[in-house]
Amino acid sequence: MSIEVQGVRRAFGDVLAVDSISLTAEPGEVTALIGPNGSGKTTLLLMLATLLVPDQGQIRIDGLDPVSQPTEVRARIGWMPDGFGTWDALTVREVLHTIAAAYRIPPDRARARTDELLATVHLEDLGDRRARVLSRGQKQRLGLARALINDPSVLLLDEPASGLDPRSRIELRDVLRSLAAQGKTVLVSSHILTELQEVADRAIIVARGRSLETQSLDSDFVATGVASWRIDSLDPQPLASWLEEHHVPANRVGGGLTEVEVAGEENAARLLADLVRVGIRVIAFTPSQGALESAYLAATEDRR
Amino acid sequence: MSWHGVRTIAALELRQRIRTSRWPIVLVVWVVLIGLVTFLAYWATNDPDLRSGEAMYDIVIFFVLGLSMLIVPSLTATSVNGDREHGVLATLQTTLLSPWDIALGKLLAAWTISVAFLASSLPFLAWAWVEGGISAGHIVLSLLVLVLVLAVVCAIGLMFSTLTARPVASAVLTYLTMGALVFGTTIGFGLSAFLVTQEETQQVYGIPESWYEQHQPPDVDPADPNLTPEQLEEIKKAQTGPTRADCTTFTRRASVAHTERIWWMLPLNPFVVVADAAPSQPRKVNGYYASGFTPMRWISGGSRMARNGPDDGVKQECDNYVGDGGSGNESDYVDPFDAAQRTAPVWPVGLGFLLLAGVGAAVVAGQRLRTPIRRLPNGTRIA
Repeated sequence: MSIEVQGVRRAFGDVLAVDSISLTAEPGEVTALIGPNGSGKTTLLLMLATLLVPDQGQIRIDGLDPVSQPTEVRARIGWMPDGFGTWDALTVREVLHTIAAAYRIPPDRARARTDELLATVHLEDLGDRRARVLSRGQKQRLGLARALINDPSVLLLDEPASGLDPRSRIELRDVLRSLAAQGKTVLVSSHILTELQEVADRAIIVARGRSLETQSLDSDFVATGVASWRIDSLDPQPLASWLEEHHVPANRVGGGLTEVEVAGEENAARLLADLVRVGIRVIAFTPSQGALESAYLAATEDRR
Repeated sequence: MSWHGVRTIAALELRQRIRTSRWPIVLVVWVVLIGLVTFLAYWATNDPDLRSGEAMYDIVIFFVLGLSMLIVPSLTATSVNGDREHGVLATLQTTLLSPWDIALGKLLAAWTISVAFLASSLPFLAWAWVEGGISAGHIVLSLLVLVLVLAVVCAIGLMFSTLTARPVASAVLTYLTMGALVFGTTIGFGLSAFLVTQEETQQVYGIPESWYEQHQPPDVDPADPNLTPEQLEEIKKAQTGPTRADCTTFTRRASVAHTERIWWMLPLNPFVVVADAAPSQPRKVNGYYASGFTPMRWISGGSRMARNGPDDGVKQECDNYVGDGGSGNESDYVDPFDAAQRTAPVWPVGLGFLLLAGVGAAVVAGQRLRTPIRRLPNGTRIA
């Protein structure tokens, strides 16, 4: 139940949306697709969701080709588009019943599945309200329920967290983790890096229609990846000169704070111990950027 | 394609239509308008000697057709690109529904609504039937043809909504197509009539020009007492009309419109199809033909006359010029409309064309809903 993408390319007229993207998403894992706006994430997901034919390259979803076997692929995937629209005149429950009917799920099973999913996305008390009255975040949650109605083994989520309040984001994270734990393949595109770092097992960074690198987000990566740390000290002058002497890349940020780039938690701890040993009075020493954020910024640096 | 899928989409479309409050209002306005027109038709044509059923029937059927050609395109003309704009089409395309399920489901829903509109005009047609002069069989046939024409209108709107990115564009194109079918065909027929009109030699049985030349009054004052007997004879001759005995067969040059070459434009018009399918029959009231105001009969007869074209045989004009001195009487006179209506109907041709266009439009719509999409037209979004 994996997703395999090999050298996929897609242009709209003379606009090249996806130049060359290759990636693999494994079952039981949450794979994040991160990249700046217009980097081709949504176009890639449209191709995975059997809506667009790639100009070049190959896509395999569970070994099936979305171009020649769209029906078989559709039965296996759940797609949640960015900016989910819904039938405003229908109630939340009716929206899900309609989608269930479109998947040829018998009515009694559709009703049970709808109640189950409304509980999962915490929309039970809005079940009989018109979809029009839902807020953006509630519509996103309905979109997630819609994508899950056919119990897909491959989930394609385009910006699922946008518009969600903090509690819903944490709940979304739990939903995604539990889906992965059930052995499903989950591919999420997002901008919100700090959250992805918590939920994703692997991150694929794309920019300008190309996949730049695949970053595993396990504890090893957190322990060794280059990250920024912020130091607040009562002795800013001695701190700056010490850092310069020891060739630690550092720069001053607002509020009298100093930011340093350190590779791995081990080195960060050693740096703090050294600073204390030489008598620099450190009052705060905190990571300022997640490792994923640093990797992302490094990979997409050429944009500036 | 499956009945289950078509039904799912049709149910979704109908539920949305019923929930948005505009449609009940439109239906009420529709019934009130038709009611008003029926009442006016009744008052205008109600005559103790004439039963007004035929006129009422013609007016109501035409009004229903005209009004539905204004309303029905709006049921489908924005249905696909409107859904695309709201981002709800792609979520259906990624399910197990086939493009045909979506196209036919939308078509079925729109057709159901237009048939509901048609059904609401039934009481007024029943009134026309009660007034008399029109048979129930006629009403059923016109309704059947109307229902099919409305399905074609729905399909054309649906096709345009899959062809353009913006709903405004597809609505305009659909109304333009309706205009082309109704007015374009009529104008086209009228204008091209000049192209098929030519001077031809024609055989006529009637009063020749020479007869009139021989019966010219002499250039004298009839009150003059000094006229010669020859002149008096000429004056007397000029005062008598031609008789049947004066009719001969002669040839003359005349301009003839060969409408049989361009008649096919007429039945493309939905009004001609509906009119020709079940025109009212002329009937005798107190021994006289009394057809009253029957536009459907006129259109039907007119199109069949156009299809038949000019008569190849000898043109019979004797009765037109001979006074009552001849043997011609009322029962010999044949109404040209009546004669034309005894010839083959033109509506099967028109309905065949419309149905073909409707099926073609539905096929285009289904094709355009196929995913995955290889070539995306400019300005179209998928989701």
